[in-house]
Amino acid sequence: MSTLGELRALRRRGARSTKRDNKAAFWFLLPWFAGLLFITLGPIAASFGLGFTKYNLIQPPRFIGLGNFARILTDERLHNALGVTFTYVLVSVPLQLACALGVAMLLDRGMRGLAFYRSAFYLPSLLGTSVAIAVLWRQIFGTEGLVNQLLGLVGITGQGWISDPSSALSTLIVLNVWTFGAPMVIFLAGLRQIPTVYYEAAAIDGAGRWTRFRRITLPLLSPIIFFNLVLQVIHAFQSFTQAFVVSGGTGGPADSTMVYTLYLYQQGFGRFDMGYASALAWFLLLIIAGITGINFWAAKHWVFYDD
Amino acid sequence: MRSRHVHRVAWAVLLTVIASLLVACSSGPGGDDELSAGPVTLRFTWWGADDRHKRTQQVIDLFQKKHPNITVRGEFKDWNSYWDSLATTVAANDAPDVIQMDELYLASYAQRGALLDLNTEKKYLNTGDFDAKALATGAVDGQQYGLPVGLGSYALVANTDLLAKYNIPLPDDNTWSWDDLKKIGEQVSKAGGGSVWGVQSPGFSDTGGLQIWARQAGGSLFDDKGKVTIPPDALTRYFSYILDLARDGAAPPPSITIEKADGTLNQTAVATNTAAFGLCWNTQLTALSAASGQKLKLLKLPGEAKAHAEYYKPSMFWSVSARSKHPAEAALLLDFLANDADAAKVMLTDRGVPANLKIRAAIDGSLTDTDKAAADYLNRITVSDPPRVTPNGASTIETILKRHVEDVLFDRAKPDQAAKAFITELQADVDAAR
Repeated sequence: MSTLGELRALRRRGARSTKRDNKAAFWFLLPWFAGLLFITLGPIAASFGLGFTKYNLIQPPRFIGLGNFARILTDERLHNALGVTFTYVLVSVPLQLACALGVAMLLDRGMRGLAFYRSAFYLPSLLGTSVAIAVLWRQIFGTEGLVNQLLGLVGITGQGWISDPSSALSTLIVLNVWTFGAPMVIFLAGLRQIPTVYYEAAAIDGAGRWTRFRRITLPLLSPIIFFNLVLQVIHAFQSFTQAFVVSGGTGGPADSTMVYTLYLYQQGFGRFDMGYASALAWFLLLIIAGITGINFWAAKHWVFYDD
Repeated sequence: MRSRHVHRVAWAVLLTVIASLLVACSSGPGGDDELSAGPVTLRFTWWGADDRHKRTQQVIDLFQKKHPNITVRGEFKDWNSYWDSLATTVAANDAPDVIQMDELYLASYAQRGALLDLNTEKKYLNTGDFDAKALATGAVDGQQYGLPVGLGSYALVANTDLLAKYNIPLPDDNTWSWDDLKKIGEQVSKAGGGSVWGVQSPGFSDTGGLQIWARQAGGSLFDDKGKVTIPPDALTRYFSYILDLARDGAAPPPSITIEKADGTLNQTAVATNTAAFGLCWNTQLTALSAASGQKLKLLKLPGEAKAHAEYYKPSMFWSVSARSKHPAEAALLLDFLANDADAAKVMLTDRGVPANLKIRAAIDGSLTDTDKAAADYLNRITVSDPPRVTPNGASTIETILKRHVEDVLFDRAKPDQAAKAFITELQADVDAAR
């Protein structure tokens, strides 16, 4: 009897404290909810709405239906920007992942000063998207910059790498490849997961280094490669700062570094056409979703899960 | 019961938050514009070279001494980043109170309602000493959105030290043509041996050269209604001329030209003594001379002997944000900038030869040699009526021009194709802004 009463009392107290906990949690979460509502969901919804309007940033938006989306189809400069962006993604992401994997494998072997090298290779990732590094890049690849000075030492006359449309995009790609630290760290973690017994067994069977890499490392690492690929592709599609700073905000020379997001920015804040810029933002979302979908579909054929 | 109570509280909190945010957004400036007795902070933004930043800060200090309750926070940038940041701050409802405005953007910002009609602040802002014609350049649709600061005119600057070094005589600017400029440019480049070029390539710095080119051909960039009216063959010749300068070696190779054009005024070829001739505004002479350290001289533009295309351009305007919380104090600052002799003696001709006639007389004695030369230049040239204000939507003209010049220089388009595309694009931007 008394035990039952105690139990009931306990349960009541428990229920009360659960409710009290919930309430406290709610208050603590309120700032986050407010942030989500006003800083994330609000602008997303607003940009969707603005995509159907003509909006010059100051006067009230005017509804124009699908006009902005129709313009996407005929906008030649946008098509050029798409070409630049796809080139950027298709060249820089594979190179970046190859560098990341290569360096990760070097660092995976226990060597002296490993922690130092790991940080040293990771550092560009922390700095790479910053304005300061982009400015530095501008100097390095300038007519009188470091690259040309080094080339001068071996008797080659360099050119203005950033100010020549045939090489400007390449400097941006090099800058992106250089920031391979984030995928590298993930690769390192992945390499550690591969049981060494596989390699030992393969070595006993007489498999060489290349065979071990192809038959053991790559298949077992494929989920990690896939993860990095999806992430870096999305990342590369959204890159903005480097192109903006390196080209001085113009996407020049001759639109050769006009990546998609820079074009979007210019439409919004250069031509004061925020409606079109919003439509472009949603179009980019569609493109990224499409590419990611293709990635997932293709993954069925090459990603190997060792369950 | 309890949980319902929690829900109700949550909704109440949420609604209060939303409501207070909405209220915060809609609270604009007070209706009656009176000077505040309490402390007021004004934000004041401008573009320019280092020299201007120093002078402007000195003027701000003078103003604050006279009005101890007003703090002026200066925000300065170079030309390119200035317009990016102005567009974003205006869109974010965070525009600076006092804005240095350019002719290119005046109509764009005014017609979108971002600028204050300065006539509403007449109580604190005296415009009585301004030349009426100069004052009119800051009006759009009959409202005074900009107070012209100074007058400028397009000019050709020549580095006489460099010419003397190479024993090349200064050309006669009363008779010379664009071909003469190209020829003498080639001479300089030859003498410079790959480190100094004759002409800093036009077509990048601003649209003044294009406007002059159109006017020398008997046309203009825009007509009264804002339609793009530059004759296509004149524009084709403009692009061909720029291409020839680079091809024949009068101007540096395209990639060097582009690199320099993306920098500030102090990094241009004329400022770094790597070009002997360059197009500029007469008022830039002082800043260019300071950067170059050599003797620079303003020459009349080539081709002016035949057709007088020169005009007075308001170098820039003072504007006040339509959403300024302190329009009265902002007007007071404008009044000080425009009418105070002490301020003018600091600024001199950095922002142009003052449009205020009384001030122009007041600074006459304190002008340095380069300032005097800039002022004298205005007397030497023959000017005709000013062109129409750059229409709303055409503020993009410089980025469009730059891109097409690059296309031509790198052989991605023929001059006539570039001319056609330029006109179509610019017209589309004007139409889109309607």
